[in-house]
Amino acid sequence: MIEANDKETQGVVDYIKNFIRKHSIFMLAYGTGCGAIELPATLTSRYDAERLGIRGAATPRQADVLLITGYLSTKTLKRVIRVYEQMQDPKYVIGFGSCTINGGMYFDSYNTINSLAQYIPVDIYINGCMPRPEAILAGFEELQKKIQKGEADNGTKYQENIEWYRANQKKIIKNWRMPDYNW
Amino acid sequence: MIAENNILNAVQEAFKVEGKVIRERRVEVFAKKDEVSSILLFAKVQHGYIHLAHVTCIDWIEDGDFELVYTIYNPELKITLFVKTRIDREAPVMENIDGIWDQANTYEREMREMYGIEFPGLIGDHEFILEDWDEMPPMRRDFDTNEYAGETFFQQPGREDAKDVRGEVCERSGEVIPDFAKKYSRD
Repeated sequence: MIEANDKETQGVVDYIKNFIRKHSIFMLAYGTGCGAIELPATLTSRYDAERLGIRGAATPRQADVLLITGYLSTKTLKRVIRVYEQMQDPKYVIGFGSCTINGGMYFDSYNTINSLAQYIPVDIYINGCMPRPEAILAGFEELQKKIQKGEADNGTKYQENIEWYRANQKKIIKNWRMPDYNW
Repeated sequence: MIAENNILNAVQEAFKVEGKVIRERRVEVFAKKDEVSSILLFAKVQHGYIHLAHVTCIDWIEDGDFELVYTIYNPELKITLFVKTRIDREAPVMENIDGIWDQANTYEREMREMYGIEFPGLIGDHEFILEDWDEMPPMRRDFDTNEYAGETFFQQPGREDAKDVRGEVCERSGEVIPDFAKKYSRD
């Protein structure tokens, strides 16, 4: 964790802003694969993620974090891109399990993507198949550190490199019927 | 085994098909392509096989055939009857049976998409589970999924040699592999 009076890297306003963001992470309740089953355990009484400021959000526009929980089929990728583009800045993505890193056990499947970072920018990867709630909380802790340092700005990175991401996305989604956002 | 032999004999008398009793409560018959719907209707109406449990397809690439298996069930006798047939793999066309059981429509749409079998008169969108698919039907055995995934998706480097990295990871994070876990090591 960054020191409270670290004036060299951040101004006071940025420090306070990041501190507040760090402690109210709303994650979108949207599970793409099998890993979503670990989230109820993380959120309920035993691990109680809300004591760290992590709780669920109902809609993409209210959420800060998009969890890609496990394998992502090309059909789901279309929905994930729409969801991600609807989220407000600042927004973060956590890739969950080995499927989002290298395809996992579905690495030679005709219908699941292999590397999530080629389609949307990923802040934190949590490895494991599946990661246990402890690993999820550790991943969120890393994300909080990143937010506090002001390094988690993948929303702007996505906007700047939108052509590169679009080209990768359109390689898979051939019949592109998606809305264009003018952020 | 009396009830099993009864249904086998009844089907064989009416249709002159091969068949056998696999074991208790399992009977199979091998029919020609044109006879399948007649056998299904015969079993349903006359012998109480009212439930269509499954329709599935097997790709016999060596023989140049698709094998279709219709699994029907009699809930009173608790006997399952498999009606098997082979169709040509090059131009696969099969009779549509969703007039006998409505739920066959779902299985047939899936087989149309996954194996490319045509069912004349089948109502339903051509796109069923896959989206924007313009390759060979993916469940055929001559479709190379590994090659397709390598071309289409971005492969992460590091999968090629399948190296055991547990020791390296432990060293990096200052941990020790416990004894009970060592026996699962690859070397």
